[in-house]
Amino acid sequence: MNLITKLLFLGLSFTPAATFFTWDGAVAWSLFNGITLSFDLTPLSAFFMLLLAIGAPLIAVPMLREKSDESAYALYALLLLGMQLLLLAGDFIGFFIGWEMMTWSSYLLLLRSPRTDLEGAQSYILFNLASAFLLLAGMLFLYSITDDFRIQAVDGLLTADKLVLFVLFSLAFLIKVGALPLHLWVPRSYDQAPDLFSAFLSALMSKMGIYGLMILPLLFPDGFSEISGRFLNGPVAGYVLAWIGVITATIATFKAISQEDMKRLLAYSSIAQVGYIVTALGVGSSLAIGGALFQALVHTLVKLLLFITIAGIILQTGHRRFTDLGQLISRMPISFFGVLIGIIGLAGMPPLPGFAAKYLMYVGLIEAHWLLLLAAMILASTASFVYCYKLIYGPFLGHANSPEAKTATEAPWQYLIPQIILMGMLVALGIFPGWAIDVLIDPVLIGLNMTPIGAPTWAQLSTNYGGYDGVVLMSVFATVFVLITALFLLIRGNMHRAASPYDLSFCGEVPTADTPLHYGAGMGRELRRVPLIGWILRHTTTGFYAGLTRQTQAAAGVIGTLYGSNPQTWLLLAVLIFAVTLTIQSVTGA
Amino acid sequence: MTLHFTPVWFIAVPLLLAFLAPLWVRWRLLMPVLFSAQVALFVLALSWLPTVRIAPILETIVIAPPLGIHLHLDAIALLLVALFSFAGAIVSAFIWLDNGAAHLRERPAFILMLLLIAGSNGMVLTGDIFNLYVFIEIVGVSAYALAAIRRDKTALEAGLKYVIVGSVAAIFILFAIVLLYLQTGQLNIAALAQAFGNMPAQMQLLIGLLMLIGLSIKAELFPFNFWVPDIYRGSDPEITALYSGVLVKAFLFVLFHLTFILLADPTVARNWLMALGAITMIVAELVALRQNDLRRMLAYSSLGQVGLITLALAFASEATTAGALFHMVNHTLIKVLLFLLAALMLRQYASLKLTDVHGLSRTMPLAAGLFVLGALAVLGLPPFSGFISKLWILKGFADVQTFWPVALILTAALIEAGYYFRWIRVFYAPTDALPMAKIEGEKTLNYAPLLVIAGLLIVLGVAPFLLEDWLQQAAQALLGREALLNAVLGVQP
Amino acid sequence: MAHYIIDALAMLGMSYVMGFLFYGFYRQFNARVQRRWGPSVFQNFFDNMKFLFKTETIIHGPMFFFGPMIIFAGAVTTVLFVPYLKDSNWLQGFSHSGNLILIIYLLVVGPLGNALAVGSSGNPFGVMGVTRGLTRLMGLEVPFLLGLALVMVQHETASVHAIMAAQTDFAHWNLMTNPIAFIVMILPFMASQHASPFDVVGAPVEVYAGPRVEFSGRLLGVLMTQNMMMTVAKLVLIADLFLGGATTIWALIAKTFALFLLTAAVSTSFPRLRTEQTVDFFWKIPLGLGVIGVIATVWFPWS
Repeated sequence: MNLITKLLFLGLSFTPAATFFTWDGAVAWSLFNGITLSFDLTPLSAFFMLLLAIGAPLIAVPMLREKSDESAYALYALLLLGMQLLLLAGDFIGFFIGWEMMTWSSYLLLLRSPRTDLEGAQSYILFNLASAFLLLAGMLFLYSITDDFRIQAVDGLLTADKLVLFVLFSLAFLIKVGALPLHLWVPRSYDQAPDLFSAFLSALMSKMGIYGLMILPLLFPDGFSEISGRFLNGPVAGYVLAWIGVITATIATFKAISQEDMKRLLAYSSIAQVGYIVTALGVGSSLAIGGALFQALVHTLVKLLLFITIAGIILQTGHRRFTDLGQLISRMPISFFGVLIGIIGLAGMPPLPGFAAKYLMYVGLIEAHWLLLLAAMILASTASFVYCYKLIYGPFLGHANSPEAKTATEAPWQYLIPQIILMGMLVALGIFPGWAIDVLIDPVLIGLNMTPIGAPTWAQLSTNYGGYDGVVLMSVFATVFVLITALFLLIRGNMHRAASPYDLSFCGEVPTADTPLHYGAGMGRELRRVPLIGWILRHTTTGFYAGLTRQTQAAAGVIGTLYGSNPQTWLLLAVLIFAVTLTIQSVTGA
Repeated sequence: MTLHFTPVWFIAVPLLLAFLAPLWVRWRLLMPVLFSAQVALFVLALSWLPTVRIAPILETIVIAPPLGIHLHLDAIALLLVALFSFAGAIVSAFIWLDNGAAHLRERPAFILMLLLIAGSNGMVLTGDIFNLYVFIEIVGVSAYALAAIRRDKTALEAGLKYVIVGSVAAIFILFAIVLLYLQTGQLNIAALAQAFGNMPAQMQLLIGLLMLIGLSIKAELFPFNFWVPDIYRGSDPEITALYSGVLVKAFLFVLFHLTFILLADPTVARNWLMALGAITMIVAELVALRQNDLRRMLAYSSLGQVGLITLALAFASEATTAGALFHMVNHTLIKVLLFLLAALMLRQYASLKLTDVHGLSRTMPLAAGLFVLGALAVLGLPPFSGFISKLWILKGFADVQTFWPVALILTAALIEAGYYFRWIRVFYAPTDALPMAKIEGEKTLNYAPLLVIAGLLIVLGVAPFLLEDWLQQAAQALLGREALLNAVLGVQP
Repeated sequence: MAHYIIDALAMLGMSYVMGFLFYGFYRQFNARVQRRWGPSVFQNFFDNMKFLFKTETIIHGPMFFFGPMIIFAGAVTTVLFVPYLKDSNWLQGFSHSGNLILIIYLLVVGPLGNALAVGSSGNPFGVMGVTRGLTRLMGLEVPFLLGLALVMVQHETASVHAIMAAQTDFAHWNLMTNPIAFIVMILPFMASQHASPFDVVGAPVEVYAGPRVEFSGRLLGVLMTQNMMMTVAKLVLIADLFLGGATTIWALIAKTFALFLLTAAVSTSFPRLRTEQTVDFFWKIPLGLGVIGVIATVWFPWS
């Protein structure tokens, strides 16, 4: 019975893949009052469906290790259904239905973690519902103008109407991607969610916000050309969006550096990475959109890999803070490589595909001559090296800092299989960036009526600003690495391992087991001394939202006093109102 | 046709069955009769649907209008009657299957519930304003008595408060009716409607205000709804389900029926009623944020939804009206579901305070799950029917580019989410305590009526077109003043 | 294929020779400024050989060993992706398969490999040094790339070859046509060569701390080698981008030496800044200049 349920669940996780491969033809479902839901797979939605198709089974596999939990499985089914509906929807009603099903089923899944506290749960659902209601308001506004809920180009709008629509929609989607200052819910929920569900949240659900942002160009094909800036090679709206993205990326990166918990760090890093995508979307050229899609793909793979690996570490050690781990490299080597490949992808280092994505986005920014944005983006992506390093140093290097970390063993195979698959995918994509362009990204660009980027060969990434060859790069690097290592080992003299982990150059003293040698939590603390970073880290939005909640509660309390429990007062009030209204009306002679 | 079906049955059958109560007590058939009577009425209402679709049915008693009393069964009346009997059926099935609350399965409760349903049906059906008053009193009296039926301190206090407030409301209404009669010499609503425009403006205003305040108290509109939480908290949740699901809806209908029919131009009252609805909605949702008792919270939430329905009905466009009627249906279903759940929870927990129900889902997983479903539906989240009705209302506003109600409704929904999800989170909160032992006799069968509602919420959410035509006709019937006047008065020589 | 191999070996050899000579010169120069005699110009070569042929090397786990290998592979790859000569078939490496942005990213492979190895050593002072290094990188990378981006915008390409080809004579050197870009990136460039005043405390320098604290013997030799080669690669890159590239080896040596001399002069004259001062400096002065450059060359129509 148990096994059958699990197998059923595994099968279920393949539904996005099934939809992706077998979908043909549009489906319509008439709702009421002339509202018909239409569902179809466009190139754009197919791209995101592919992400879902990759991610869902990979998260399902490690979930099988846990005790079979029917209600969680059912909620996952609803979540997947909602996300597929949202991607397939050809009109805003269907989109909204999928969006909301995704929201509440993910909320209920979030509640299943014993770590979820009231603030976390409330901020998750309220921010997401605010996003949904903004979306609803936007689509109603659109409907009031065009009498149509379909997702299609609208033209002939007044600039003011367009701006309202744009603000409503982009706010809705920016909440979902966790753009600052609307990100409060992201670190909390990614941190508190069940460990594997965090992977789902970060890798797949944040992409739905990106999908939403990407249908905006569908709605306004002519862009905001009428409000283009004088000094900009592009529309002001896109410029603002790009700045939102890059500021999000920068601040979230610094916040990530200062985290002491692995999952929170990854949460902030998700915000930052998705911020890059927003920036690229703001640029809006075909190179930048291609870069955004590529980054979405890479970020999905990387975050799946990292969150699953981290979940494995937490499973094996029970610890999640950098101070409590360390030196797992010898005990969990495969997980180490998982995180290593993950952070290389996250940092956008060549030769992994993170670089290809960054390259496209950089070139997109240079082509648009938006150099200040480029500078800010470089700041964010260079700063991300620090948290990437923290992520690998904290758990894997240094010294084991807790009894569990000293005795942990490698994660179970259910966790390792997805890791190995994802590592393979990342390396393959790094070698063949042109393949991703040719097969995955160009169809979407063509579907969006943009010039495809094109790739001369699958190994090459080429733009009109120049390109690079993934195969050459990877083979040069690998050859040199192998040669050097071989050379070094061939002429080896005496190389031996230090007798104990405490055999260190340590101020002329001999450290003992009690000496605090693990630098996990302290790393990045000194960054506060840089004025800008210190300023950023001292400020949060928590206070603002807490204040908002407090004020609302206070207002509720004040109004609530009206609802006393004295019937005389109620009656007196009714009669008084009657008398006053009557008098006013008679006097004014209405 | 061997049996003559008439709308009178909707009133007469419950009354008759109520008077035969001693018989049922002797035969130990009280609960089966209560349940099957409602089901029969529901089936009857559905069977009438094709007829009423073509034309409304007028049932004249003794003399033709305007002199005589008549019942008027059009699409909206049928909708509400069907809704009331369905809600009644669910509640009585619940009481029947449930083995708590013995006092609800005795003769007084039986009689009072049937009277309540009969009165509500009468309010919806009648075409005569004095008759209307009579039904209001029937409903009122049975409601007061039901509130106090548990015979403990809180219930008696609730009953007493209800009597006081309800009587004052009745006085307002009676006063208005008396004035109307003095001015026009008519009691038939259609005839009154024709004469109303000829009255002096001051008199119109006075009557309108009296009527508005009286009905607002009954229909729980701000600032006349301060009594609601106390009553809802004090009475049994099963009874409260009827208040929120049936009673309020009947009064809302009366309020808008009279507004639309008496005023030749309903836009006069539109701003007033819309403002009332909007304020009710926002205030109630805000206050609900701080409620720590489940039943009080549900009471405020109910007020909020009533405000929303009022806001949409008062706008008097066909789309918003149809949407509001659908929302009425949904809200009845949802609130019956939620209050009955509260009843089930009360069997297990001594109190339904926020702090006492931590980790409820471990003890009562099904109840918690159904609560979630109800909450999602009341918030208007897809794929439940609450979403469709809210969307319909919002679309109605968007059609004519009126955006302030849209903004208000969405804001209110966000606030509402604030407290509903707080409760959900509390239900699912991790606790160290072991799940409580199930109380004696708690069985899955208790949940059967609730599961019916849950299924209906999903079906209506996925396939709202099942009700679409009916709702649109109901909206037309509610708004169609001319058609109604012609139908009623056209028969007179 | 054979061409590529010979070419690659030639590039590596040339980088190595130039590297130890330049550093040897630097030590001489520094000593003379400080009124010492200083070691011979070949001293760096001797030191390097000494390290590489040490018999004892202590390692702290596999990553500690592979880290330097990664760094070295990164350095070699960087060298091979920078074109050394203009209009020539030789000393090109694989530069046709790469571009400027790729090279900039290859430059930071080294620090990250280093970080892995140091972390693996388990010495907290080493990790502290790495963090400082990464922090400094964060500071310098922004104005550095902004300066280069100005050049890329000017030539509308990211290909080093194309940028070199566009600088036909002295008047068309980017140093002359885009001086702001040069000024913006020159200080961060010095920092990227680990030159004072922007360097990070290294183990050999003073207290027992810094990224290299645990490395010894042949591993230290590998690290030293890659550092010298990397310095040359960066110098060549800047010469390519701003000084019009070089058609002969002698011109190349002259131009890179000029740049190196500039770096050496600055670095002997100023004391080291603290890491956060470095970062703050880069975000104020060079970045401020960069913003002015952007406004002047991109936003305004005369550009």
